Amino acid sequence: MTASKAESHRQGIQAARRRGKSKGSSSASSFISGSIDRGSARKIVVMSLLALIAAAAYMLVSVNPKFAAYAFKLRAPKLITILITAFAIGGATVVFQTVINNNIVTPCLLGMNSLYTMVHTMIVFFFNTGSVAFANRNVSFAIDLVVMSFASMIIYGWLFKKTKYNVLYVLLVGTVLANFFGSMQSTMTRVMDPNEYDALLVTLVASFSKVNADIITFALALMAAVIFALRKELALLNVITLGKTQAINLGVDYDRTIRRLLLGVTIFITIATALVGPISFLGLIIANLSRQLFKTYKHTYLIAGSALFGMIALVAGQAVVEHVFVYSVPVSVFVTVSGGVYFLFLLMRRKAA
Amino acid sequence: MRSDALTKTYDGKIVVDHISFEIPKGRVVSFIGPNGAGKSTVIGMMSRLIMRDGGTTEFEGKDVAKWKSGELAKRLAILTQTNNIQMKLTVWELVAFGRFPYSGSHLTEQDNQAVRQAIEYMELTDLADSFIDELSGGQRQRAYIAMVIAQDTEYVLLDEPTNNLDIYHASNMMKIIRRLCDELGKTVILVLHEINYAAFYSDVICAFVDGKIAAFGSVKEVMNPATLSAIYGVDFEMIEVNGKPLSIYY
Repeated sequence: MTASKAESHRQGIQAARRRGKSKGSSSASSFISGSIDRGSARKIVVMSLLALIAAAAYMLVSVNPKFAAYAFKLRAPKLITILITAFAIGGATVVFQTVINNNIVTPCLLGMNSLYTMVHTMIVFFFNTGSVAFANRNVSFAIDLVVMSFASMIIYGWLFKKTKYNVLYVLLVGTVLANFFGSMQSTMTRVMDPNEYDALLVTLVASFSKVNADIITFALALMAAVIFALRKELALLNVITLGKTQAINLGVDYDRTIRRLLLGVTIFITIATALVGPISFLGLIIANLSRQLFKTYKHTYLIAGSALFGMIALVAGQAVVEHVFVYSVPVSVFVTVSGGVYFLFLLMRRKAA
Repeated sequence: MRSDALTKTYDGKIVVDHISFEIPKGRVVSFIGPNGAGKSTVIGMMSRLIMRDGGTTEFEGKDVAKWKSGELAKRLAILTQTNNIQMKLTVWELVAFGRFPYSGSHLTEQDNQAVRQAIEYMELTDLADSFIDELSGGQRQRAYIAMVIAQDTEYVLLDEPTNNLDIYHASNMMKIIRRLCDELGKTVILVLHEINYAAFYSDVICAFVDGKIAAFGSVKEVMNPATLSAIYGVDFEMIEVNGKPLSIYY
C-alpha cells in the first residue's frame, strides 16, 4: 500500500466513522446486549424454574411423610436418570443438527438406536446373560460404548465423508442401515434361548419406570470427560453454523472437528440409550423447540434450552404417568406419538416456506 | 503467493494440470476461462478448501498446507458462492464472525470497532440489525464482503462474486473489489465469467483452458482478439473505452 493510498483509506474510515456516529449507534448497542443476550438468559432462567418445579412435583406428590425417606430413595435415581437422559439427548441432537447443517435430522433417524439394539443383542448372543459382560451393568455399558463408538465412527464417519455431507443421501443410507441393523438383531434373537431373550428384552424397551440406575456414576463421569475433551470443538459450533467453506476460511480444522463432535454425539446417545432404552423423536422435539424459542445461532443457549425442554417434558410426563395414569401408559409412548406429529409439522412448514 | 505444478484430478480426469504462476502483491488478479477450465478448483486449492493432488502453493514462503489454519485465516480470506445458512443471523452477527480468527467468540472493543468499520465501509449500517435471509442478493453479497473486510486479511479470494447479480449490482461489486485493492491495499484474486469486467477492473488476467494456463499477464497483454479467440473459440472484436480494452462477442 502506497503512502497516498494509506492516507486515503484512513480518511475514508474517519469519514465513515463520522457518518456512523449519527446512525450506527443502534446496531452497536444491540450487539453489545446481544453478546450477553438478556432475552435468552431470561428464557433460560424461566425454563430452569419450570424444570425445578417439575422435579419437585415428581419427588413430592403423594408422598406419605412417614415414609418420605423410602419414597425419595426410590424416586431420586429415576429423577437423576431422566435429567441425564434429557441433557444427553438434547445436547447431542443440537450438536448433530449443526454438524449436518440440517434441523430435521436426529441421530436416531440415522439408525443409531438400531445400532445400539444390535450391539446390545450381540453381547447376549456371543456371551450370554449370565456372563459378566451382561450381568455387570457397568461392564455391559462399557462394552456397548466401545463397540458403538467404533462402529458409528467407521460407518457414519465414512458415510458423511463419502456423500460430502449430503443430508438426503445420508438419511437414505441411514434408513437402510437402520433396517439392516434391525434385521441382524431379529435374526440373532430368533436363534436365541427364550429365557435369554426375555432377559435381553427388558433392557431393550425404553422405559423411565425401570431405569438402569446402576450406571449413573459411570455415565456422569463419562459425560463430563467428553465435554472436557471436546471443549475446543464445542466452542467452534457457532462458526460451523456458517457451513464448511466459511468455517475453513475462518480457520477451523473442519474434518477433524466434525469427526470429534460426531464421536461425542455417539457417546451421548449411547449413554442415554443405555440408561433408559432407545427413544426416538425426543431429540427432534426438544432441539427444534429450543431453536424456535431462542432464534439464535449461539449454541450455549440452544443446547441449554434443548436440555431444559427435555427435562421439563420428561420429568413432568413421568410424574403424570406415575401419579395420574398409575404406570398404565409409559411416557415414551407420548414422546413417540407427539414426536411423529411434530416431525410432520416441521416437514410441512419447510415445504410451505 | 506462488503455485508450482498445481494438479487436481477427479475420478482419474485431470481438471488442473501442473499449473505454475505467481500472484503479484497488491493487485486485482482475475481468473477467466470457459466452464470447466479449472478456475474455481485452483482458487479452492490456493485457499485450502480443496485438497490438491500434486504441486505446491506457497504463501509468504510457506506451503498453504503447512500453515496453521487459524493463522492463515488472519492473512487470507476466501468467499465462495455456496453460502446457505440455516440460522437466523443478523448482518452484524455475520460480519462479527470475521473477527473469529483473532478473538474466537469473545469480541474485544477493538473487534467491535473493526466490525463497525467494515459495515460502514460496505454502507450496510442501516441494515446492521436485519436478518441475512431477508436481504436482497446484492445486499447479502455486500454483507459477506463486509465480513471479509472485518477479517482484515492481506489477500482476498473470491469465487465468482458477480454470479447471480444483475448489471447494476455486479458493476457495483466490481467497484468494491477495486476499492479493496486501491483503498485497503489488499491483493484480490477472483474468478470471473464476464471478461469485460475482468478487463475493466483488474490489473492482471490469468486465462485458463482445460486445466492449463492459456495466458497470464496485464490486461493489455491478454485482451487481444487472437488470444481470446483461442481461449473461448469465439470471434472477438476489441474496442477501447476510457483507455481500457473491451471485447465484443456475439
